[in-house]
Amino acid sequence: MRASSARSIAFVAFGVALLLAGSWWGLAKAPGEVFMGDVQRIMYVHVPTAWNAMLALTFAFVCALCFLFTNAWKWDNRLEAGMEMGVVLSLLLCMQGSIWAKPTWGVWWDWDPRLTTTAVMVFAFGGILALRAFVDDPVKRAVWSSVACIVAFVDVPIVYFSVKWWNSLHQAQSTPQTVSSAFHWPLRINAFGILFLWIGLVGLRARVAALRRRGEMAPPLTQKQPATGRAPITGGAV
Amino acid sequence: MNALFAAFRKDLLLQWRGRTQMVAIFAFGAAALLLFSFAIGPDSSALREHAAGFLWLGLLLASTLSLAESFECEMEEQALEGLLLLPASTRALYYGKAIANWAQLALLGMALVPVMVVLYDAGTLRLLSLLAVILLGTAGLSAPGTLYAAMTSQTRARQTLLPLLLFPLVVPVLLAAVKATSLVILGDPMEQYRPWITLLGAFAVIHWSIGGLLFGRVVED
Amino acid sequence: MSGVIEGGWEFVIAAYTVSALLLGGYATSVFLRFKKEKARATNEVSG
Repeated sequence: MRASSARSIAFVAFGVALLLAGSWWGLAKAPGEVFMGDVQRIMYVHVPTAWNAMLALTFAFVCALCFLFTNAWKWDNRLEAGMEMGVVLSLLLCMQGSIWAKPTWGVWWDWDPRLTTTAVMVFAFGGILALRAFVDDPVKRAVWSSVACIVAFVDVPIVYFSVKWWNSLHQAQSTPQTVSSAFHWPLRINAFGILFLWIGLVGLRARVAALRRRGEMAPPLTQKQPATGRAPITGGAV
Repeated sequence: MNALFAAFRKDLLLQWRGRTQMVAIFAFGAAALLLFSFAIGPDSSALREHAAGFLWLGLLLASTLSLAESFECEMEEQALEGLLLLPASTRALYYGKAIANWAQLALLGMALVPVMVVLYDAGTLRLLSLLAVILLGTAGLSAPGTLYAAMTSQTRARQTLLPLLLFPLVVPVLLAAVKATSLVILGDPMEQYRPWITLLGAFAVIHWSIGGLLFGRVVED
Repeated sequence: MSGVIEGGWEFVIAAYTVSALLLGGYATSVFLRFKKEKARATNEVSG
């Protein structure tokens, strides 16, 4: 196994360890919050997921730019891995947000601007992954998904701003944002946990992408002659 | 500049020659508006309240047809490669096509307004304000739409990929255009129209810029 | 929203479980694909 793959697996393991530690701290040891009660504990996994989802998609965006400037395959590998990871984290974020919203607001979805933007991002970047699946030419696939990734990423702040504005006309915003300083440690540990986890997974996933493309672009294996030894059928006389 | 005008003229000519298809797309949009009213029911006040949303949803759905169609002829007989061999920059090609698409979508939007007025009792006298929303909203649809249509028309699942890629991207256009149109139809006591128009304008400026920058890479060989 | 939310542990458990399942599931899928691609690559080299 390559050194880089071994390192990726180590990152994943370390990330999982941090997540277990941080979650245990947040669930078992930290006290309940004044107004939210124990539901606040969801924040110890929700906020770290939010940071890392944004980070993963920013990483994908950087890879897209690097690919368009360098045309090096390694950036397309990382782009594919980064987008996939970003979509998974964003999807997770939406699910966590929904689970948090039910006891807090009484509904499964409350059109919170950050969560709504995340939902749009799931569709936007998921769509680019779908695009990749339908393009056979590796070069076109790489160029087009880089272009699409850049456009989608540039769009994210516009989406956020427009949803925030649109929503603010309907309800007075009072989403609890601050996490009291006593609770910082589980948050930080989980944030680094997910960070190492996704960096490790992106490393492995990029390798998968590289191996797949090598298989795609490899010259065809020479055909063996049929066992009968007869010449292959060609057109011609009846 | 000459190249841009030439490209625009070419696309406009293509649209003119294919105008029966434009009528069909209009019919599709009008049918969509009719179906939306069935979803709500014959409640006049509810229909009027949501008329702006229906108009823009109908326009958005119809836009996937017209944007996809705008690249159909480039796919035949490898016309796209022929275009690229000309001494015109890809930027001129992009803007020529995007402007032509914009004109077509704006026309479609204006044609759907009377349908909306009749079906939802959603008339207004502020026609210039309405026109501004339609022009800026369709501009926001046309720029990324042209870019993505160029990509998806060369793929296998072209009909599903274009809406799949475009719709999440143009969420701000949908939000702002629906809000602004709603204010025009239902009244705007707190003067909220201007900020939404500004948002539409900003969206259009951003996407027309990056579209022009990126189109070259999308169509290169 | 004012007032204290009583209990709600089932939502907390749900959130952490969903997170574990989704992240764990994705990590497993990446590992499996990694193993599969490596096996295929070594087969092509030797076969």
